[in-house]
Amino acid sequence: MMEMDWYLGLSAVLFTIGVIGVLTRKNAIVIFMCAELMLNSVNLTLVSFSAQLGDVHGQILVFFALCVAAAEAAVGLAIIIAIYRNNLTVDVTKINLLRW
Amino acid sequence: MESANELLTILPLIIIGAAGLFVMMLDAFTGSARLAYLATILFSAAALAVAVSDLFGPMGESFHGLITYGGTSSFGMVLVMTGTLFSVILSRDYLEKTGMHIAEVYSMILFAAFGMLLLVSSNNLVTLFLGIETMSISLYVLAGLVKNHKKSVEAALKYFLLGAFATGFLLYGIALLYGASGSTFLVDIAATEDKGMIYWAGVGLLLVGFFFKISAVPFHMWTPDVYQGAPTTITAFMATASKAAAFVAFILVLSRALPDARADWSDVIWLFALLTMVVGNILALVQDNVKRMLAYSSIAHAGYIMIGLAAGTDAAYSAVLFYLFAYTLMNIGAFGIVAYYEWHKGYDFTEVSNYSGLGFKQPIMGVLMSVFLFSMVGIPPFAGFIGKYRVFAAAVDEGLISLVIVGVLASAASVYYYLRVLVHLFMKESENGIVLSRPGTLYTASLLILAALTIFFGINPGVLTDLLGSFWTVQY
Amino acid sequence: MDLFAVAFYVFAILIIGSAAIMVFSRNIVHSAFALMFTLAGVAVFYALLYAGFVAVTQLLVYVGGILVLILFGVMLTTRGYFEKVRTRTVNLVPSTIFAAIIGLMLIAVYVTTEWTLMPLEDGEVTLTGLGELLLTDFMLPFQVAGVLLLLCIIGAVLMAARTRHPHPPAGKSSQEGPGGPSYGEGTGRS
Repeated sequence: MMEMDWYLGLSAVLFTIGVIGVLTRKNAIVIFMCAELMLNSVNLTLVSFSAQLGDVHGQILVFFALCVAAAEAAVGLAIIIAIYRNNLTVDVTKINLLRW
Repeated sequence: MESANELLTILPLIIIGAAGLFVMMLDAFTGSARLAYLATILFSAAALAVAVSDLFGPMGESFHGLITYGGTSSFGMVLVMTGTLFSVILSRDYLEKTGMHIAEVYSMILFAAFGMLLLVSSNNLVTLFLGIETMSISLYVLAGLVKNHKKSVEAALKYFLLGAFATGFLLYGIALLYGASGSTFLVDIAATEDKGMIYWAGVGLLLVGFFFKISAVPFHMWTPDVYQGAPTTITAFMATASKAAAFVAFILVLSRALPDARADWSDVIWLFALLTMVVGNILALVQDNVKRMLAYSSIAHAGYIMIGLAAGTDAAYSAVLFYLFAYTLMNIGAFGIVAYYEWHKGYDFTEVSNYSGLGFKQPIMGVLMSVFLFSMVGIPPFAGFIGKYRVFAAAVDEGLISLVIVGVLASAASVYYYLRVLVHLFMKESENGIVLSRPGTLYTASLLILAALTIFFGINPGVLTDLLGSFWTVQY
Repeated sequence: MDLFAVAFYVFAILIIGSAAIMVFSRNIVHSAFALMFTLAGVAVFYALLYAGFVAVTQLLVYVGGILVLILFGVMLTTRGYFEKVRTRTVNLVPSTIFAAIIGLMLIAVYVTTEWTLMPLEDGEVTLTGLGELLLTDFMLPFQVAGVLLLLCIIGAVLMAARTRHPHPPAGKSSQEGPGGPSYGEGTGRS
């Protein structure tokens, strides 16, 4: 059994990588993948806390977070497909009709 | 096991959830947008009536402490249902005239309202998270409703990507608060004794998530894009109901989960309120696009509301609730009138100069627009004034003088961009020989009701303020 | 070094490496496959933390569901050759600094916190307990999650289906096109 802060540190690292990805990538699908990575790292945090506290509520929260992630994935990819149909690109820097 | 009484405590939620499913099936079997519209109106009105009657009912917790009902939550439900009902009424004419009337709109609006109702009655971080996400996911779809319009889909994409990003922060905040307190119940989080670094990191990330949802600067980037790109009446729905729901949930979290830490988060909200007011108003001043102007004005309003949150007293919270009510009424009205002008095909209504001379062509709309805009400015006989006054007064009592001064100056500056629309409506010559069509009876009537309520609560705020004040005398 | 520690280090390196590949790879298909390793690796950590149910759900929902959706998304939004599926990065330096600050702050928080470690027994959080809690105390969120999944199906169909032409202004209300989606799969309500 590792110390708890290793698990938490690992999830913080994953979260950071996700944040970097969301901020730097230009492809909408990759941005979305990075957002999923962020959610995943939070789930890891929750499970670690749940194990540390010996409390089941954390896992329940993870369960709902998984539901939300799945729902977000379905709707988000549908939106990305709709964007592709209209613009023939999923590059967010080229999708900029709405400015100022 | 839940008894029937517990179900009664969330009756509006159940009505709207059932309505969403019913309208969806209605759409699947009949495909009639008109039937879906009627059913939506009926269910929303029923839920609104129940929520209003709940205002005078008892307060408490149900569903093993997951849900809080009565008081603030009921008022949040009233806000959400008011926003929903009027947006639905206005949506029909607008969507029909612009040729986007499909029945799925109504079920998505109802599901979004379902999420909002859960959000305003949540007493636990699990329900809070689910409520926010149910609301947001429906709104992503609603923003991109017109999927052959590039702008609409682009609005949906921006909303979705930034929303998913913010969800990460919100959930991280929830996770850390859970780790610090060992529970997801708001009351247990308030009872945390060992406020270590984890607790503060959790509070910070949770605030970031909320700031995004209420579009506080610097987390506001999505707001103007989404408000401009989405169909106008849907924008009205997002700007009012979802904003109000997020604010009510914010109040619940601040007042129940973090009451001891008030001195600390108050300073943070102070800073963000300042930024939001200043940036929102400055960007609204330089806007020529009317919908974007209204979007930035809603950011500025979020700033004024945050003054009340920064004050953080019971009086301030009840003032914020009143402000939210006034904000809902006048914003739906203003967006409704913009929607009315926009449905005239072949004319462009993006720039403020396009509105030249329209005021006298259909006088009732011009007059109603003036009522809503004057109320947004905060001029005395309207509800917007009372809301602003009460929020500022509560903040002054708490010694946030400098913040209130900035707020007053910012609202003075806001006169320019609101009145600019009116100047164009009434004092400029029309550029194109547009003939305005007559709005539908129900459309006019609902706008008239909104204007009447704006004036009524402006002249006679005591009815509501006494009620709102009574919510906070009961300790949870 | 016990088995747990070995597993921890191996999989930590695996998921951090594959996450980095996912973020920085220029080929979007490579990114998606790197994400698969990350997600599966996270499932291993759930198992190490005795959260068997979550680990299995992670594999089913993420690796089996979301990842396939993403690959479909990649397939539907590219024209032809996978060689062209390249993406670029923007503002690398400022965002990395920003994200690194967040990450370092979080790690600093974890390291400085004194953990009251509980002796963790296998099976302390049982599947039975989890299920019972979901169907008693958390009944309401469970139902809401059902509604959420249902609405996401409708929303996805609404967004992804080809444009149905709604009836022209002032026309009849009937607008269900021949390609209209059917909602027979409304099983989200549990």
